[in-house]
Amino acid sequence: MMHFLEPEIIAAVGILATLVAAMLVRPRSTVPYWFGLVFSAAALVRALTLQQHTHLYGGAVLGDSYSIVVTVFTLLAVMAGLLLAWDPERYGPEFPALMQLAGVGAMVMGFAGNLILLFLGLELLSLPLYVLAASRRTSLGGEAGLKYLLIGAFSSGILLFGAALLYGATGSMTFVNFTAVHVVPGLMAAGLGLLLVGLLYKLAIVPFHMWVPDVYEGSPTPVTAFMAFGTKVGAAAALLRVLAFGFSLSAAWWGLMLGYLAVLTMIAGNMVALPQRDLKRLLAWSGVGNAGYVLVGIASHNVVGAQAALFYLLPYGLAILLAFTVVRILEGREAAPVTLASLKGLAYRQPWLAVGFLVAMLSLAGIPLTAGFIGKFYLVRGAIAADQWGVAMGLVVATIVGLAVYFRPVQQMFAPGEGATGRFTVGTGIVLAVAALGTLFIGIYPEPVLHAVIQSARFTWLH
Amino acid sequence: MLAFFLVLIPWIGLALFLLPKAWVKAGAVVLALVEVLLFARALVAPVGKSLGTVDWNWIPSLGVHFHLSLDGLSLFLVGLATVITLAAVLTSPRDRGAAYYFWLLLAESTAIGVFTALDLVTFYVFWEVVLVPVFFLLGGWAIGPARRTALKWLIMNLFGSLFMLIGVVALGVVHAQETGHLTFQLASLAHTTLVPAVAPWVFLSFLVAFIIKAPLWPLHGWMPPAYSDAPAPVTAVISGVLSKLGVFAMVRILVPLFHVEMAQAEPWLMALAAVGLVYGAELALRQKDVKMVAAYGSLSHMAMMALGIFTLTQAGLVGATFYMVAHGVMLGGVFLILGWYEDRTGSRELRTLGGLNQAVPKLTVWFQIFALATLGLPGLPGFAGEYMIFQGLIQSNVTVAVVAGVILVVAAWYMLRLFQGAMQGPRAPGRAPGDLTTPQVGLIGALGLLVLVLGIWPASVTSHLPTLAPSGVHQAAQAAARKGGERA
Repeated sequence: MMHFLEPEIIAAVGILATLVAAMLVRPRSTVPYWFGLVFSAAALVRALTLQQHTHLYGGAVLGDSYSIVVTVFTLLAVMAGLLLAWDPERYGPEFPALMQLAGVGAMVMGFAGNLILLFLGLELLSLPLYVLAASRRTSLGGEAGLKYLLIGAFSSGILLFGAALLYGATGSMTFVNFTAVHVVPGLMAAGLGLLLVGLLYKLAIVPFHMWVPDVYEGSPTPVTAFMAFGTKVGAAAALLRVLAFGFSLSAAWWGLMLGYLAVLTMIAGNMVALPQRDLKRLLAWSGVGNAGYVLVGIASHNVVGAQAALFYLLPYGLAILLAFTVVRILEGREAAPVTLASLKGLAYRQPWLAVGFLVAMLSLAGIPLTAGFIGKFYLVRGAIAADQWGVAMGLVVATIVGLAVYFRPVQQMFAPGEGATGRFTVGTGIVLAVAALGTLFIGIYPEPVLHAVIQSARFTWLH
Repeated sequence: MLAFFLVLIPWIGLALFLLPKAWVKAGAVVLALVEVLLFARALVAPVGKSLGTVDWNWIPSLGVHFHLSLDGLSLFLVGLATVITLAAVLTSPRDRGAAYYFWLLLAESTAIGVFTALDLVTFYVFWEVVLVPVFFLLGGWAIGPARRTALKWLIMNLFGSLFMLIGVVALGVVHAQETGHLTFQLASLAHTTLVPAVAPWVFLSFLVAFIIKAPLWPLHGWMPPAYSDAPAPVTAVISGVLSKLGVFAMVRILVPLFHVEMAQAEPWLMALAAVGLVYGAELALRQKDVKMVAAYGSLSHMAMMALGIFTLTQAGLVGATFYMVAHGVMLGGVFLILGWYEDRTGSRELRTLGGLNQAVPKLTVWFQIFALATLGLPGLPGFAGEYMIFQGLIQSNVTVAVVAGVILVVAAWYMLRLFQGAMQGPRAPGRAPGDLTTPQVGLIGALGLLVLVLGIWPASVTSHLPTLAPSGVHQAAQAAARKGGERA
């Protein structure tokens, strides 16, 4: 009966095992990292082979193919984070366990079918990240941790308040019951609004995004890479789930509102990314813009849009992992800030690194034959099928701005000059290769991945 | 499969990175030569049979087919791409490095993809990927403020093509809503009926993208710096092959899908192209830089092709298509010659040059031939193309035909001014430069032979062309106008 939770159970057991291992071995041993990686890989394999789908506790736990996709994405982010941080001297023995814990939080958000589980997942995801964000003992790291903690606690409070109002209005915590119960519109709307605000904070949608650049810049790069992919997967998955399962009948209302926010987020995120000189800040703002793209799919409130939103997380995640891997390699052990100027001449010094970065930028810019194009194509289709022409136009305008954002670093790579040189490690090399090849593979032959992902978001009642 | 191989083989250029530096150019030449031979193979196939079609179910979840076909319309433009790329590779310096040759080959591959695509998304993919190699050709190796130029090229073109993406998706979605079948095949989409509120906007999204890529006035902002900054072989490829993508797409996509909108907007489109025609010629007349004379002349010629297309008559469309091929060969040749000229004199300033006809007779002769071909001398291909376009213009809009006639005279003027300024008159002081080498004469001679064949025997191209003009289009547009703008 519990088959469908096996990946999550394996991951949770992995946390305990990793913690125990960390206590038993020397502090500078890589054994905890190995534990984290092996358990995550085992959970990934189990998730990919899982066939059975079950709903438990009257729809509170929704173990379906949608949650499996979320689990797979999250595990990819966790494994990438671990491989990027493969340096116990610098990150400490507790790092893998915290990373896995955050991953389990995102997975819980993926299968959460009621508000309590949703909140539980959100906190599981956030708490370890507060610690990880501050783990760089510099003033920047401290600022990042504190900012993330305060904003995170604030948004959790808002979300909790919204959940309480929804419970008051409907007498239920379970998403699927919201549509069925006849409710007082005022209370219901306020509850939904606050719930959305809480989740939009996590997803970093404008105007709830101000924490992103500082937190991304101050956190250690492997943590930033995980936040950029894993946190967004969890938040977007939960947002899509709660809206599609609980509020499909009032789709016109939230679809319109989220559409405006999506356009605002895409354009603002990419516009502010344009003048950035620090590569991590540039990628942080690009992450804001990309969260807006995901929101386009959710705002479409139709099947195609839901599928597009879920699918877009993968191209975006692979590209942003790739970019942060390059940052990680270039910043070296001292975590020196990587600016656009550090990229100068990279194409001649380290061609393979440059190729990886080029693939990431092309995909984020949405150039065909990379995964990013397929994602954007699907999103536009969703918006047009929903008759949201303005949102489609906003996406296009943002993409044009994004192009300038992503081609500036590329030009720097080919410009003459002396920039930073970094050393590959096995871990960063693996992430670089897998993410780059994955991006190109999905771009050239998307059908297998696309089919698997979109089948799991066939929320046909959204028409 | 032939179309697929033509697209695929340049990608083998990735292997150039593995070759020792001395062998890189030879490797690129081999690949470019294989492309020409593949085209020759397609050429000897029987007329009318569409060769080498591939139609794979590429992304079923999105209804996208990978559909390429070497049909009568695309055949000679593919040939143009292979020939000009080979010429560009041959004339490039030996020490350019693998990346340069790879991007050059990639530009060829993607251009062939655009020419042969019969699925709108396949078309779009190649249409956009072509920006990447050109971006690097302009930005990585060109001189001066080249990085701005490259970024301008990229952003202007993507501006157009991303709005076109909305148009592409809208056509597919509307077709799916009408028939329940999601597809982007051009043949199916031709029967899609857009609602009147949406149709003009979708049409406009395609039109703007095509105008920018061509480029046509007034969206030609990327062109002057790109033509001026790029090295001669790259300019030859951009002006010879890539500038044809925009006007070709009008014939391939706008005419079958949007001929009703085109007929309704015909006066406006004609006016637009006519202004571009005059504007390009006027600026060509004023340029002091030899390369820019040819560049603005080319802008004017592109407007001439657009005029032929906007007539929506068989003569105009065939003329425009033939002119694309002829113009590609001629302008490619002109830019190669100007490149050699610049190598020898070290200057492009028309004022400081002159009187070279004594010192470099071979260069002078070939320059003369290509200049005459470009200005439309009867017996050379410029004339044949312009004649057919005129025929179409007289059928549909005599006023514009008169304007175009005047511009033909101006075209002769600026080309002869260029030739005279560069070659004739008193010798500019300085050491006498060397004449063309034998390989250079061989190359330009081969292109010249091609020009001659096209000029004497235009039917070699036009007999392959299918019926391009939509039937009864003007009547349909008038009927639609009477009914209040509804689509027929």
